Amino acid sequence: MRAWPIRRKPRKRDDAGPQSFVLSSDWRRPSVRWGLGTTHVVLLILLIIIGLGPILWLAKSALTPTLDTITSPMAWFPHGLTWSNLSSAWTNVDVGLYMRNTVVIALGSWAFQIVVATTGAYALSVLRPKYGKVIMALLLTTLFVPAVVLLVPLYVEVVHPPLIHTSFVNNYLAVWLPESASAFNVVLMKRFFDNLPREILEAARIDGCGPFRLFVSIVLPMSRPILGVVSIFAVIASWKDYLWPLLVLGNPNLQPLSVRLPNIEQFTPLGVFLAALALTCVVPIVGFLIFRRLIVRGSGLSGALKG
Amino acid sequence: MAIDRMIPELQGQESGRATQEATRTPRVSGARRRPATWVKRGGLSKLLFLLPLLIVFGAFSWYPIVRLVMMAVQHTNLVQRATWVGLSNFSLVIHDPLFPIAVKNTAIFAGLALVFGYPVPLIVAVLMSEVRRLRGLYAVLAYLPVVIPPVVAVLLWKTFYDAAPNGVFNTILGWVGIGPQQWIQSQAQAMPSLVLESTWANAGSTIIIYLAALVGVNQELYEAAAVDGAGLWKKVWHITMPQLRAVLLVTLILQIIGTAQVFIEPYLFTQGGPANATLTVMLLIYNYAFGNSLGASYGKAAALSVMLVGFLAVFSLIYLRATRTWSRQ
Amino acid sequence: MKLRIRGNRSIRMLAAMGATGSLVAVAGLTSPAGATPTVSISVASLVPGATAAATAAFNKQVAQFERANPGIHVKSTQYDWTGPTFAADLAAGTLPTVFTVPFTDGRALGQAGQLANLTKYAEQYPWFKEFNPAVIAEGTDAKGRIIAIPEAAYAQALQYNRGLFVKAGLKPNSPPTTWAQVESDAKAIVKADPNAAGFAVMGASDNTAGWILTTLTDAFGGRVETGVGAKAKATFDNPGTVAALNMIHTMRWVDNSMGSKFGLSWGTSNQAFAAGQVGMFISGSDVYTNMVQAYDINPGIYGLAPLPLQGKNAGVLGGGTLAAVKPTASPNQIAAALKWINFYYMQPLSTRQGAIRNANALLAQKQPIGVPEFPVLNKQAFVLAQKWIKPFINVPVKQMASFTNGILNDPLIPEPESVTQAIYGDLDSVVQSVLTDPNANIPALLNAANATGQASIATGNAPS
Repeated sequence: MRAWPIRRKPRKRDDAGPQSFVLSSDWRRPSVRWGLGTTHVVLLILLIIIGLGPILWLAKSALTPTLDTITSPMAWFPHGLTWSNLSSAWTNVDVGLYMRNTVVIALGSWAFQIVVATTGAYALSVLRPKYGKVIMALLLTTLFVPAVVLLVPLYVEVVHPPLIHTSFVNNYLAVWLPESASAFNVVLMKRFFDNLPREILEAARIDGCGPFRLFVSIVLPMSRPILGVVSIFAVIASWKDYLWPLLVLGNPNLQPLSVRLPNIEQFTPLGVFLAALALTCVVPIVGFLIFRRLIVRGSGLSGALKG
Repeated sequence: MAIDRMIPELQGQESGRATQEATRTPRVSGARRRPATWVKRGGLSKLLFLLPLLIVFGAFSWYPIVRLVMMAVQHTNLVQRATWVGLSNFSLVIHDPLFPIAVKNTAIFAGLALVFGYPVPLIVAVLMSEVRRLRGLYAVLAYLPVVIPPVVAVLLWKTFYDAAPNGVFNTILGWVGIGPQQWIQSQAQAMPSLVLESTWANAGSTIIIYLAALVGVNQELYEAAAVDGAGLWKKVWHITMPQLRAVLLVTLILQIIGTAQVFIEPYLFTQGGPANATLTVMLLIYNYAFGNSLGASYGKAAALSVMLVGFLAVFSLIYLRATRTWSRQ
Repeated sequence: MKLRIRGNRSIRMLAAMGATGSLVAVAGLTSPAGATPTVSISVASLVPGATAAATAAFNKQVAQFERANPGIHVKSTQYDWTGPTFAADLAAGTLPTVFTVPFTDGRALGQAGQLANLTKYAEQYPWFKEFNPAVIAEGTDAKGRIIAIPEAAYAQALQYNRGLFVKAGLKPNSPPTTWAQVESDAKAIVKADPNAAGFAVMGASDNTAGWILTTLTDAFGGRVETGVGAKAKATFDNPGTVAALNMIHTMRWVDNSMGSKFGLSWGTSNQAFAAGQVGMFISGSDVYTNMVQAYDINPGIYGLAPLPLQGKNAGVLGGGTLAAVKPTASPNQIAAALKWINFYYMQPLSTRQGAIRNANALLAQKQPIGVPEFPVLNKQAFVLAQKWIKPFINVPVKQMASFTNGILNDPLIPEPESVTQAIYGDLDSVVQSVLTDPNANIPALLNAANATGQASIATGNAPS
């Protein structure tokens, strides 16, 4: 079986680096070595200040008494550390509950997106009904309509669904289902399925493997890399979503952190609020460090997703 | 299509079109004439597998698109029956004094985002591509802000932008002898402040796109240029840049499309203030639909959304062409 | 004003805390409407972010109510009135059976059929005849139907920091009584403490800036709107508004006495004040509660004074909160909802037991009791309620005396009648322009905003 290309190329980049215009011969020139070396050190310092600085400040402020953060935000613990911000972020702001909601929303979005993308792409790529081209064209058209401009009709639909006369407001399905209508996922998945070796699929079919078993026992196991990529996208997109959950999850007990935090900003002491922000960042940062390669590699694709 | 073509490129995969054509399964034509045959030939299972996709896209993508267009020419408030009002919603929007302000502000946001956010990631990516040690560390640092959820990033920067002399940024400015700034509470500085945060939050992913594209630059060209005695700058200018041209166009258009929809920053930083200095098109759509506690103007919101889609479609078409060129390389 | 609700609701949130069965003599709960069959209602409970203890205490309150009314099942949901979420909830039909809205929205919602008609249910309660006529008018629609029950009212007031007054060499017991004094006191405060704002106004784009400008306009004898309903006229360019904006402009750009924060909202101004960063600002007479429970204010610095009034027709803007019932509620649910409104909102104002129950609950949580509010019921009932809670009062009453004495003689002005929140919203950007642009052309700004305001009145009153 052919190796999935997404693995091959970036690994090469990580190990050997991209093609470089500075050749080894250039590196031997002292001016280049010093010039580039200095530039790189400066770049590293700037990246630390800009990329890491705000997050470190947030971590520091989570442990600093509110008054110190207001009067001298850049001072280093002028009156010592306090754990009370974190504990009241956990107990009063109830960060735990909202983190759980965030996780539930993300997992649900993930599950629905995976089901829709895999089954749809499988049908379009492997089963190929005659009308598949029409569906594909309709899918690709939706790439021209960013989800955000459908806000109003989607909202009206969720509040007063046609045919079914129950409002889906304050129901996680109202978040999960619209998010799973991602043409990007389907296209990505279909592109992968298109490149699966046909001989294996044909062989399985000749051995009497029906469409369902083909999907579950052959196609899905061969698709682990792309499932990983789509999963990561699904979880990240859901974790970042704000406007849609804000509209359809009015019940505070159901809201994710992204909706909850702006709502309580006015009513929470600054130190506690910053502690809540810091706690919110922990899961994405840890997740990023664990899945760093997958996320960074997929970043280009998520750039395309924004279009 | 745009992304369709972009994926194999970003993954360093050969375009899938040819494969698809070559491996097309032979199909018995006319199999659907009788239902029994149709089922036997797998027509039912094909449909079953497509069902989730059809339901979800039908309900949450295709239907809302049609509904959007309908709402734009209707007066509807969810309580009474919708009435047909022709193009009057469009006319109401165009004559709203806030409409030109919102368009102008969105254009300013997009323009400033290009000034701040376009060259910097490119320079950083080109420099990073030459890093020999700890490249992973550089990438992690550059990408870290992208990991922070956008809402958290905005709320954090709102604290930074505290206009008091002892605000975070004003304290830092004080160290280098610059007086306190007004940041988001000044009509002139509010928009640049929003863009600054947005650039911080998004530059990482652009850097990664450029880094990926730099992988594709043909090493032999550099070596050949070196033989010809070309210096570093010449190599960057004459080899790297031309090779990145297509990806630069793609990121440009993606950025324009993204910034045309900017919402979270103006909504959470300033709610469009001060004095409408940060009112953007998406925020205006939101305000039409949900901003008034006593009732919504869904028609106006839909009309403005349709106008926005039309505008974005133009850029999407350019994007499509650009990626097609890119794929051909 | 919308944000008022949060303050008032939070008082009740605290009222709910620590109430124990043994302390509470649940009286007056037997229904005047007679026995009701089993019925289930949902009620707005606490602001989001209420502590676990507060939630538990609220639930205890609910349990008491249910014990006294065996036929009624109460489900509580967190609730927070904000313009956008309210519109969405209204459209989605997800509001609880009993919820609260600000005075500004009550009549318009009632007119649009979005609130249940409570007339025949409310009439059965003793407090109904005791309402302050100006206040019950806020819950009465054009046809004379009661569509909401006013449950809290406030008057705008000048909040001042006694600590900063002392620091600036001013007398903390004689707050300014004219706007000229406000201006000079603000200068003195900034001179003494350059990091503080002598005088601050709200400047956020959430209708609060327009709310404060309307307050100032009334205090200078102007009105931002005249008439009612579709016939209302936006009159932003009146001399009162011009005078108010000129004063803000002078303090901001000439005196430089307004500090460095110009995007303050209701909560953030309380926060800044409690942190000692603001010498004076305008907000409701009862914001002390929020300053204690959210921002841990040092009671010693708190001072409350009536707004200076200048010119003919000058008056103090007032507002408040209404308890309302969802229009889709069944008659049984409405009857049950009224029992809840009686128990939770009205008894603390109208009965000895209710007032004491409320005060005990607040006391148990060391929360403020005796914060000045405006009488919802008539003067007699108000005086009685004040007497009942007297032993419990724990706020610095003396530091609020100049307000409580002064307000009795001041004319109270209701909020603009037609599309109030939209009018405030249209005025937001005028205030922001004056605060952020030294060359702001005030007459031109008001002219432009007036056109927008008139358009808001037309849109808001259009038949839909």
